[in-house]
Amino acid sequence: MNAVPLAAAGGGERHALRFLAELSQALAQSLDLRETLEMAVTRIADFMQAEAASLFLLDHAGLIECRICVGPVDITGLKLAMGQGVVGRCVADNATQIVRDASRDARVNMRVDAETGFVTRSILCTPLSNARGPIGALEVINRRDGSLFDEDDAEILRLVAAPAVLAIGNAQLAHGLVEQQRIKRELELARRMQKSMLPKRRRGDFPIRGVNLPAHEISGDFYDFFDLPDGRLAFVIGDVSGKGLDAAFLMVRVASMLRWVGAHAPAPAVWLAQVNAELCRTVQDGRFVCAAVGQYDRASGKVRLASAGFPPALLHDGGEFEELPADGPPLGVLAEAEYGEREFALGQHALYLFSDGATDVRTGATDRLGEAGLRGLIARHAALAPEPRLRAVIGDLKRLHLVDDTTLLLLQEPCGTQAHTLLALEFPAQAAQMRTVRAALRHALDAQGVAPELRDRLVLAVDEACTNVIRHAYGGECTRRIALHVARERDMLAFELRDQAPAVDPACLKPRDLSECRPGGLGLPFIAATMDDWTLEPAVDGQGNILRMHKRIDNGEHE
Amino acid sequence: MSDSENACISEDLGGYVLVRVCGEVDLSWSQQVRDAILAALGNSGVGVELARVTYIDSSGIAALVEGFQRARSSGRRYGLIAASRQVLAVLQLARLDKVFPMFADVEAARAT
Repeated sequence: MNAVPLAAAGGGERHALRFLAELSQALAQSLDLRETLEMAVTRIADFMQAEAASLFLLDHAGLIECRICVGPVDITGLKLAMGQGVVGRCVADNATQIVRDASRDARVNMRVDAETGFVTRSILCTPLSNARGPIGALEVINRRDGSLFDEDDAEILRLVAAPAVLAIGNAQLAHGLVEQQRIKRELELARRMQKSMLPKRRRGDFPIRGVNLPAHEISGDFYDFFDLPDGRLAFVIGDVSGKGLDAAFLMVRVASMLRWVGAHAPAPAVWLAQVNAELCRTVQDGRFVCAAVGQYDRASGKVRLASAGFPPALLHDGGEFEELPADGPPLGVLAEAEYGEREFALGQHALYLFSDGATDVRTGATDRLGEAGLRGLIARHAALAPEPRLRAVIGDLKRLHLVDDTTLLLLQEPCGTQAHTLLALEFPAQAAQMRTVRAALRHALDAQGVAPELRDRLVLAVDEACTNVIRHAYGGECTRRIALHVARERDMLAFELRDQAPAVDPACLKPRDLSECRPGGLGLPFIAATMDDWTLEPAVDGQGNILRMHKRIDNGEHE
Repeated sequence: MSDSENACISEDLGGYVLVRVCGEVDLSWSQQVRDAILAALGNSGVGVELARVTYIDSSGIAALVEGFQRARSSGRRYGLIAASRQVLAVLQLARLDKVFPMFADVEAARAT
């Protein structure tokens, strides 16, 4: 650092250096910025023998506000425009200003003096600036002994400014971080609270299943189901327009209203009409809610359903889809809206209700999955039991790009058929084992009447999966085990491969493009091209991976 | 069908080597097939006869692709001869069925 001219310090060079060192340290260690700056400005005023000192900071609006002030007149909160007065000029020019005779200097704003009776004689003002430019200014007024501020004083004030800027920067950074953490915590809390509002999954043969996938921390979608006093089951699914916190709050309210009204078991059309009327009375900000409500009587197998602007429900018999359109406008739009309702026998059919997030899933940069795409997904997994089917559809949606909250509700009686095991093998992770494994698998598939061409492809896919485990998961041949389980449920073949290797990140596995000719990397494309779907996930106990692959076989080929 | 022995035999026909592969080509020995094809390509054109291959996996296909690439870069003749139904199915799956020169028999392969 350059030699500091310190005539003005009075106490000599050593005194000034000690002052600067102490001030810098205090600012560097600052925890409470306001307190520290107040202390700093007071000490600067004392050291500079000034009658008054103040610190100004530039605000978001571009005004320069006095944040700290010591002296006979408190100007804290005073706001100056850029270029206004000595301080404004100092910030605008990012240059130190010295006023030796205030009464004759055009830069000086005499308003404060006029209002307070304070007499400004001499001013020294230095900018506070960081790499991006000025952020404020530090000003001292009137030497107590009546003498004038000079270049040496200006030098000292400039030296003091640097650690003050650092302290301000640090504090702003810390404040931003704390704020971010707080928002994150609160969003997480909101997410958990919202999630806790969703009904608990019921095990056993319960016929209603729901899934809610928020696109962000909080969701504007909801679903609910509950028992009615007469033994019927009531169910609800809804989607609040818009995203974010206000949509989430409205969701909480509407979900409660639907639950409250629905508990009295009104006809679905009346149920919607009552909630709509209440919502129109209380929500006037243009938000609305698409919802479908229904009741299911397990004894008679009858479903009553009404929809307020909700995407068409799908009734699937395993082959054909029947579309059940909305029975009226969304809730919260028209106070006098009336709703229709429909009644039908569920039988063994599956009723799907889904928020538009499910069809808005992106399949490319701009392409939506659409209703046809969603039907395709459902059809692909139709042979699975309801629980794994819903999981498989959700798995597919997640692999695509979710852009909106996505909620699915599935109503279906558990089907009578059970999966039965076709093959269960366990063998060491060695390539030489595979010939026997393939022979056993061929035999098992032949016994199911699987056509030879498909059989060979399935054998290849399973073989490739096993050799991938040997080569990549285990990192080479070893004596650790691979377990293969093949089961059939109706016309769906389910292959399950377990290993005890360290967890493999499924995101790393992407089948390569087959259009390029090169050796290697063909295993995964073979699997993807042969199976209807496949998923790789870590085993629940944390040890090993489970690869699940499904293939639907044509009903005509057997039984 | 799957009881045929795994084997890979190279036969020098004078300026052309016929590599006969039999059995189920999988990870356990596809390296041998690869080595045989690459060795044969060292000094002549090569035909890989696959009539008695009852199974081939991606590592076997990779050996065939490597041979093809090596032959192209060294200007040697290379072809697959009498590929079995099972081999053709996997080549189609890998979209390689139009990539390799395919021949019905060794005479046709040598005539190119």
